[in-house]
Amino acid sequence: MRLIKTILLGTALSLAALPALARQDVIWWDFLSGGDGVRMKALINAFNQEHPDIQIKGTTLEWGVPFYTKVRTAAAVGEGPDVMTYHLSRAPLGLEEKVLSEITPKDLEEAGLKTGDFFEAPIKAATHDGKLYAVPFDIHALVLYYNADMLKGSPYLDSAGKLTGIKSMADFEAALAWLKNKGVPTPLTYQSGGDAGVWRVFYTLLAQQGGEFVTNGEVLAGDNAEKAAKVIDIMSNWREKGWAPEQAEYEASVALFSAGKSAFQLNGVWEVPTYKDLEKSGKLGFTWSAVEVPPFMGKRATWADSHAFAIPNEGDKTISGEKRAAVMKVIGWMEKHAIGWADAGHIPAYRPVTESAEYKGMQPNATYASLAEAAAFDPQTTITGVASPAYDAALNIIAPAIQGYMSGADAVQQIKDELQGKLK
Amino acid sequence: MAMIENRRRKSLIALTMVTPFVVTFSVFFLYPMLEMVRMSFTDAPLIGGGKWVGLDNYLKLFSDRLFTISLKNNAYFVALTVIPTTAIALLIALAISRLSGVRQTVVMSLFFLPYVLPVSVVTEIWAWMLDLQFGILQPVISLIAGKPVAVFKNPYWVMPMVAVVTIWWTNGFNVLLFIAGLRNIPAELYEAAALDGATTWQKFSRVTWPLLWPVTALVLTLQLILQLKIFDQIYLLSGGGPFNSSYVLLLKVYREAFQSNNGGYASAVATVLFVLIVVISVLQFQLLRIRRNA
Repeated sequence: MRLIKTILLGTALSLAALPALARQDVIWWDFLSGGDGVRMKALINAFNQEHPDIQIKGTTLEWGVPFYTKVRTAAAVGEGPDVMTYHLSRAPLGLEEKVLSEITPKDLEEAGLKTGDFFEAPIKAATHDGKLYAVPFDIHALVLYYNADMLKGSPYLDSAGKLTGIKSMADFEAALAWLKNKGVPTPLTYQSGGDAGVWRVFYTLLAQQGGEFVTNGEVLAGDNAEKAAKVIDIMSNWREKGWAPEQAEYEASVALFSAGKSAFQLNGVWEVPTYKDLEKSGKLGFTWSAVEVPPFMGKRATWADSHAFAIPNEGDKTISGEKRAAVMKVIGWMEKHAIGWADAGHIPAYRPVTESAEYKGMQPNATYASLAEAAAFDPQTTITGVASPAYDAALNIIAPAIQGYMSGADAVQQIKDELQGKLK
Repeated sequence: MAMIENRRRKSLIALTMVTPFVVTFSVFFLYPMLEMVRMSFTDAPLIGGGKWVGLDNYLKLFSDRLFTISLKNNAYFVALTVIPTTAIALLIALAISRLSGVRQTVVMSLFFLPYVLPVSVVTEIWAWMLDLQFGILQPVISLIAGKPVAVFKNPYWVMPMVAVVTIWWTNGFNVLLFIAGLRNIPAELYEAAALDGATTWQKFSRVTWPLLWPVTALVLTLQLILQLKIFDQIYLLSGGGPFNSSYVLLLKVYREAFQSNNGGYASAVATVLFVLIVVISVLQFQLLRIRRNA
């Protein structure tokens, strides 16, 4: 009995002694697994080593709806993390759910950051009613990957082996036809059988026509409907001609490019490290690069989203004081060391990093970084964004329409029927 | 006196034995269920309270196209699974009961094996077997359709294929129930029937079938309840698509609650599904009993 008492007393004493060290533990949640996750963990480790007084305790949860549901339920009972990663496209729903705590000017000061130091588009996506609710970390967007070896002998490669002469859909489709003629099985690959892949290509081509998905609370209003139908018909045509794969799942769509079965790929910047690593280990077997998606439909625009840092709003239990200062210090440090994150393909949202000589030397990252100016974020509504009803519609309606089950116009009508009712 | 005391002690024992169940049941089932019904009359988000809106959520259901579609799809799925799975289970059970000894045990466990697998494993197995590019079942599908079909992305194939997967997965349990039912039929009845010169078919239709009917009614009812609650396989295999052709009520509950933050409306859909299951299963069980008694 005495022994137990001693142990208990000892534990209590040591627990009481902990605050004396004044070490702040920052509970961190993210949804970054895979290549992203490895790089993020490296950043967290580096931070922890540099800061004995602040220790990040990181947990990686499942991407998408599971992550956001968990954040909401945890925050509601005051058991949420101190800081979390958040997709800016998801911010409108986050605000409606009241899970985001405002990042005040004082907070930014603690972090040593200014909104002026960031690209405008993500800051805009993180701002609501003039208040900032998240600190953007990156811009990640759709890019056009190409296999330079396959394009050899075509007019689409300049003397330096860079992609050239693709300025419109006609040019692009001519290139696809040229490749098909040459015997390339699937000239263009993208995730044609999944929600995110279909949505990103669809939204890019819609935005390139100046089209908007939601205007004044209406889904695909006015001539936006025709523009959307046109996009679906174009994507349908790609499949019909055998230029794009049928119902390709994500992994298969990536494998088509890395295995040299596709000359082009429309996919996010996050696959850049995959090809870089393959190239480094000599397993890729071809020369490749990536560029901003050319203005196929006239206007420069590319689907984009941002990973951002946010602090959950937990009512009375929302972090404040020293803990909050520590969290802001973490965020500030991450932003200034975002070059480690750029290695994952993402474009740092913090301009001093993107403008640094080190970043400018990274290829093909520096080449496609120009897209930051043409980034088309999802509309700021509760039905769009990561794992949203719009994503469901991409899988439920657009993907099968591309397979030829429905015309573009009919598909658009169904999208409108489906989503309009959900728009509050 | 002693008897009264004895009875009191007995009821005390009974009470202590029942209490754990009653408490767990009330905390984890009854209370959440009442809360669900209450929430269905409010505009509550997923978390936190909401305003009382009366029957608004229920009225909204009538004009919700997706709700009607889900209802139809649930009915379609029930039609595709309940009777087929019962019939198949009966056939398998009859076949197995003809075997004996180790052979019977081995075959029975083979049929029961899929039932042990978690749903994620089941869907993963079938997603690969039916994969458009690599699926080993695609040659079979080519025989029927003339070309490979991405079955879970095809509006006509999706529900029947989910039904096939579901039957494959859950059939073992029904087989077990039928075997138990068959073992309960006294052998003398068959001997008597044989003495009277009954054919195999007569033995089945006059002896096995009527005596097995209570088990059949049970299997049919359990299956009906189970299949009305279809969710996991759809969520994992098709996500409700394409064109909502596999959208079902529980998927609607999930999406409304966890994706769109409409706790009240999701509760209304859940309440409707709950009432539907209770009414249909009670009705079905009663009807099946009447048939037996007639």
